[in-house]
Amino acid sequence: MSAYLANAIEQGQLVNDWLTPKRLGSMALLQQTSWPTRKTESWKYTSVRSLEKKTFERGTTNDEHAFSSIAGLDAIELVFVNGVLQQLPEGLPAGLSIASLENVPESTQVWAREQFNVAKPSQHLFGLVNDVLADNGVIVDVAEGVTIDTPIHLVNLVSENNETQQRVIVRVGQNAKVTMIEHNTGSVESLVNHVAEYFVEESAELELYRFSFRTEKALTVSGAHVQLAKKAKLNATIVGFGSELSRMDLDVLHRGENAFAKINAIYLLAKGEHFDLHSTIEHEIGHCVTDETVRGIVGEKATAVFNGRIHIHRDAQKTLAELNNKNLLLTDDAKINTKPELEIYADDVRCAHGATVAELDKSALYYMTSRGVSRDTALVMLNFGFINALVDEMPNAVLAEWLRPILKERFVKMNAEL
Amino acid sequence: MSDQIEDAINREYEAGFVSNIESETFAPGLDEDVVRRISAIKGEPEWMLQWRLKAFRVWQKMEEPDWAHLNYPKIDYQSISYYSAPKSMADKPKSLDEVDPELLATYEKLGIPLHEQEMLAGVAVDAVFDSVSVVTTFREKLEEAGVIFCPISEAVHKYPDLVKQYLGKVVPQHDNYFAALNCAVFTDGSFVYIPKGTRCPMELSTYFRINEQNTGQFERTLIVADEGSHVSYLEGCTAPQRDENQLHAAVVELVALDDAEIKYSTVQNWYPGDENGKGGIYNFVTKRGICHTNAKISWTQVETGSAITWKYPSCILKGDNSVGEFYSVALTRGAQQADTGTKMIHLGKNTKSTIISKGISAGRSNNSYRGLVQMHSTAGKARNFTQCDSLLIGDKCGAHTFPYVESSNASAIVEHEATTSKVSDDQMFLCQQRGLDPEKAVSMIVNGFCKEVFKELPMEFAVEAGKLLEISLEGSVG
Repeated sequence: MSAYLANAIEQGQLVNDWLTPKRLGSMALLQQTSWPTRKTESWKYTSVRSLEKKTFERGTTNDEHAFSSIAGLDAIELVFVNGVLQQLPEGLPAGLSIASLENVPESTQVWAREQFNVAKPSQHLFGLVNDVLADNGVIVDVAEGVTIDTPIHLVNLVSENNETQQRVIVRVGQNAKVTMIEHNTGSVESLVNHVAEYFVEESAELELYRFSFRTEKALTVSGAHVQLAKKAKLNATIVGFGSELSRMDLDVLHRGENAFAKINAIYLLAKGEHFDLHSTIEHEIGHCVTDETVRGIVGEKATAVFNGRIHIHRDAQKTLAELNNKNLLLTDDAKINTKPELEIYADDVRCAHGATVAELDKSALYYMTSRGVSRDTALVMLNFGFINALVDEMPNAVLAEWLRPILKERFVKMNAEL
Repeated sequence: MSDQIEDAINREYEAGFVSNIESETFAPGLDEDVVRRISAIKGEPEWMLQWRLKAFRVWQKMEEPDWAHLNYPKIDYQSISYYSAPKSMADKPKSLDEVDPELLATYEKLGIPLHEQEMLAGVAVDAVFDSVSVVTTFREKLEEAGVIFCPISEAVHKYPDLVKQYLGKVVPQHDNYFAALNCAVFTDGSFVYIPKGTRCPMELSTYFRINEQNTGQFERTLIVADEGSHVSYLEGCTAPQRDENQLHAAVVELVALDDAEIKYSTVQNWYPGDENGKGGIYNFVTKRGICHTNAKISWTQVETGSAITWKYPSCILKGDNSVGEFYSVALTRGAQQADTGTKMIHLGKNTKSTIISKGISAGRSNNSYRGLVQMHSTAGKARNFTQCDSLLIGDKCGAHTFPYVESSNASAIVEHEATTSKVSDDQMFLCQQRGLDPEKAVSMIVNGFCKEVFKELPMEFAVEAGKLLEISLEGSVG
């Protein structure tokens, strides 16, 4: 067993709080789980060796971190430094309640405990680690019929040699509407294990943004698990940069008829980075729609992994599901491993997936440079063109405006290394 | 209408009968001694025995793979008999007249063109009845062209240098569990060598039959196409009905040297088991070809039989400008399970591969496409196109797609697309409105769905494949 896992189990046995009844089951599973190797199908292309022998500090230091909120965006800020929530926001809009995981009112505890580990599949190793160790995070509850216009912006900042085990549980009540932004950033040697479970109830809407901007030595394993009830809607945008180890598991469960999920994901990897996105869409019931578009640009010596699974259960007749994955490799030593999977047990469905891997269109580059655009600018423009459609589709325009310069800077960095 | 369907569903497997031919059969069980005995019966030289033993020792240390999307009871390798030969082989028939008439009658029932039909069809048949090649015809005509087409057991004696040079070079002994088992206990199969610059004067064909009860069949086929040569090889199978599952673990190795071309076509119609999947053939096959510079290997398969199919005909595109193709129709019905696909390993520059896979699932069956497209960093400007479509007939079956795409070369282009749909009500309505009964309509739609693959098959085979599909689909419409 790896030192990391042994340590996690040891620490998990010391945890005793209001979630303990649910943690016990995960602990039993975790004790039987072995450390993933290249032979473990879900970790075939992602090595966790950089984490194997590591142990980090947890929640002990409260260092200063420079962080500026998103310009022009009026948001409810939840800033975590090394897993410590800096300030619980006050004066929340009516119908919205947010509780810090360490201090959950008893009435909330009842439902939150019930929902804990329901949307998240049990086989994720780091999900299990999070189950037993999570000691910070928030429980968000949006009351029935309420539309929260102000997005909730959750940020994780982690100091060197620190680790955070964060759990977020969000319930969007019937006919309610909310926007969540999950934002992980940093580059120092540290670990973020960030698991969020979303329960979108009947006719409710969730707008979800997940920005995984942790690079270099910042190790990240994270999960976003969304359960959709009847007529519920999910509109998710994921943007990922890579680091030594960066893995995200996205699970969407269609539990009620006429649920709708739109997922756009982008990954942009600079020199030597690694990013792994595993998405699983479970259609358990009929008449639901999934539309997933994933685009990635992979720079020098970087490796991108995408595994997109769509599982149509026996009763999920009249499902419409589409998955599209396009990749650009910038150099010959860039790598992409993509696997779009379909597993279908119902016959009256329309499902399709596609995957492509190629390089930047040389003739387009030539066209631009021959018209006086410098090569660097042309590269940035072409790269941007590849993913811009997904940025345009972000429902929140302010967020899209904030994101564009960040992406541009990213492209400059990726191209400078060429 | 429903009576008709019921009828068709309950129809017995048409090629299901057991011929009564006395057989010399080993008692069930597998150990080194069995390997030695097989080798001794074949009168093999020492190097061949050592080769088998090495494989057997490797196999003992391996574990049966469980990653495929298949569900079957654990195979007891000790309960299988590893050798069975038609007894009349002992006094070797010199010509067709000397062949056991019952054996010939078996082929007759299956419509195999072994006598004059075969002359008309221009097909040379190396018939594998259980484990020993019984009859090989057209040998002389092939010899004229310098083509070697003989049982591999014969090739071991007659052409040891060629066999030594190529056997196990594409699928080595340690390749996988089933291939290792095959290496240890293979009883026979075909060996083909096409000399430099030769175009094989006829299509080569082997009909396989599994006949002896409780006998695993382990063929080994090796085809070597020397520089600038061309060969088209057909493989077709059908097996009699029986109750116990039969293990089949074949290995096929293709070597296409510079500028050579090999076309390998398979129609597989082994007994799929009864409606609960009981008694069908377990088919675990390793097929792989290597392409040298400018060479081309094309796999075409129509898979309609077997309870379990585990089969991934692959191409290693080693030489620059080499081409790999895979065309497949896999039909599963009843309780059949198929996990099949291909691997295209691009190593050389400007290599190209095309994958067209059509999966049809009916009844309570499960049909999976599993493919790998790998672009190595040396595969500059390589190109792959993959299309896998699934058709579902009925709401109790499953269709799955597991494509692995691994690219480490920026100038390589990989395209993969997959769709899943059912025979639409509109299509059915249109056909029925024009006077076709539902069964005909489905058969026509399915035939259209598979057209891209059928057109790759040699003509006679394409007709057979179409017919096979039609028979297999009977009773699937509801």
